[in-house]
Amino acid sequence: MKILDNLLNSISTNLNNNAFCIDNRFYTYKELLQKISNIRAVIKTSVNEDETAVGLITNDDIETYASIIALWFEGKAYVPINPEFPIERNINIIDQASLRSILDSSNKKVINSYNSILTKNLSNTENNLFPAKISNDTLAYIFFTSGTTGIPKGVPINFGNLSAFIEAHGSLDYTITKEDRCLQMFELTFDLSVVSYLVPLLKGACVYTIPKNEIKYSYIFQLMEDYNLTYALMVPSILQYLRPYFDEINCPSMKYSLFCGEALPLDITEEWSKCVPNATIVNVYGPTECTIYCTEYTYKRNAENKNRNGILTIGKEMLNTSTIIVDKNNNEVKVGEQGELCLSGLQLTTGYWNNEDKNREVFFYKKHKGKKTRFYRTGDLCCAEKDGNILYIGRIDFQAKIQGFRVELSEIEFHVKTTLNKINAVALAVSNNNKNSEIGLVLESDTFDTKKLLDNLKSKLPNYMIPTQVRFLNTFPLNTNGKTDRNKLKELFNSIKAA
Amino acid sequence: MEINIIKEKINHVLISVLGHNNFEMHDELTANDVDGWDSLSHMIILTNIEETFNIKFKLRDLNKLKNMGSLVSVIQSKI
Repeated sequence: MKILDNLLNSISTNLNNNAFCIDNRFYTYKELLQKISNIRAVIKTSVNEDETAVGLITNDDIETYASIIALWFEGKAYVPINPEFPIERNINIIDQASLRSILDSSNKKVINSYNSILTKNLSNTENNLFPAKISNDTLAYIFFTSGTTGIPKGVPINFGNLSAFIEAHGSLDYTITKEDRCLQMFELTFDLSVVSYLVPLLKGACVYTIPKNEIKYSYIFQLMEDYNLTYALMVPSILQYLRPYFDEINCPSMKYSLFCGEALPLDITEEWSKCVPNATIVNVYGPTECTIYCTEYTYKRNAENKNRNGILTIGKEMLNTSTIIVDKNNNEVKVGEQGELCLSGLQLTTGYWNNEDKNREVFFYKKHKGKKTRFYRTGDLCCAEKDGNILYIGRIDFQAKIQGFRVELSEIEFHVKTTLNKINAVALAVSNNNKNSEIGLVLESDTFDTKKLLDNLKSKLPNYMIPTQVRFLNTFPLNTNGKTDRNKLKELFNSIKAA
Repeated sequence: MEINIIKEKINHVLISVLGHNNFEMHDELTANDVDGWDSLSHMIILTNIEETFNIKFKLRDLNKLKNMGSLVSVIQSKI
């Protein structure tokens, strides 16, 4: 497979270059290769050949990154498991993916009841320079995203998908060389992490990560200042946090500043462009299901940029993706009309992991350019401009983005309702004072102490899904369709506690 | 300003933002030790501290705030 050959080639021709900077410690490609070889050796002895996917505890260290590449070179996929998530959720993921082995760089095993393999202190072996034979169908990773029934959904991405993404990304003409210094700000359970480490490693560039105990936005600024970063993919909420400090930021070294994962406001992009005066600013878009991202728009300095309600356009489809916008009956709408954005192409996942019901719901076939084509419904409401650029309007259902993580609000409601017998609950994404989203919860009930409820939620859901504000209402308002009026409920959160 | 007074004022901000006082003010105290002190409430806490002391943190200051002791000394250097 070309992608792994290219990766190996990049590693072995850049041995003396820095591959990673983790917590101010540099690791060369030579050190990375040694770690990869050591971990491959232990995979060979401790993981069965029929285990196509292996769990990976997502620490911020060189062994964790080396483990990903080691698994790939052994022809295996990784399933990221965040040690900070509740154990119940992690066990659910492990069971759904039928994992038997877990690579773990911690000092003590995070998860005990499986074949956990510690990777921190392995002895050096001879460098192994031959990747296993893999095909387009070989799995590269399975990422689990928030699901409506309270159970996370697995999105499998194979090497065919990943190679198509790398090819499409390469065709964007954002040249990265071995001289570049690239930001990797994402949790390894979020697929934007994949492009953030893989693209630099394929070019012999250096990847700068963020230690887990640091405040992300201020640490990113420090990396930009101290190391003159040249390439950074970020979620737009980082800009919201940095905005009060924009006058302190001047980073002329930045060549490419990319944004993905949330709606990108045009006004803040304009302000940011002065902080990175030499950078090409890019807005990219895409769900995990279509491998990292699949549409792209290059921000124009000193010219008009298409937007809707102040949200910058997500641009046009990238090389290996086709986009259509359809009505409820899957018929394409006219230019300028609203509809659901649907995606197809080489980056599209084969379907959710062991979840045929969900697959029937979100994947469909349609004749496109004379060929029967499989499409994925994104749930995103969009409309197309005459010039082909796509404008993002909002979520069709009630999925929300919190700190860049995708959250199905109904999953939170599900857990609230199962905890509180017969009390109706609505979870909402509400804007806080920093214009970032957080979770608000409205309960149809008299006031009571919610500590027990929140404690229970914390044992079931990751931190970013825990409601930060709770309101009580005796009766929920209804809209004209007889549905709970979520917009009215949202108004309950307009006054925020920390004024 | 006396260190005790600074700490008292920080304590007050924490209680008003977090809604509880289940923590002890000592120099080694970090956000991880305090219930509800996460990246979201952190922003609110910092803004309230800025208002309370009538100071403005620089971006670079924020990474120095490793624990209560360093928070107090950064505030001290600004008032």
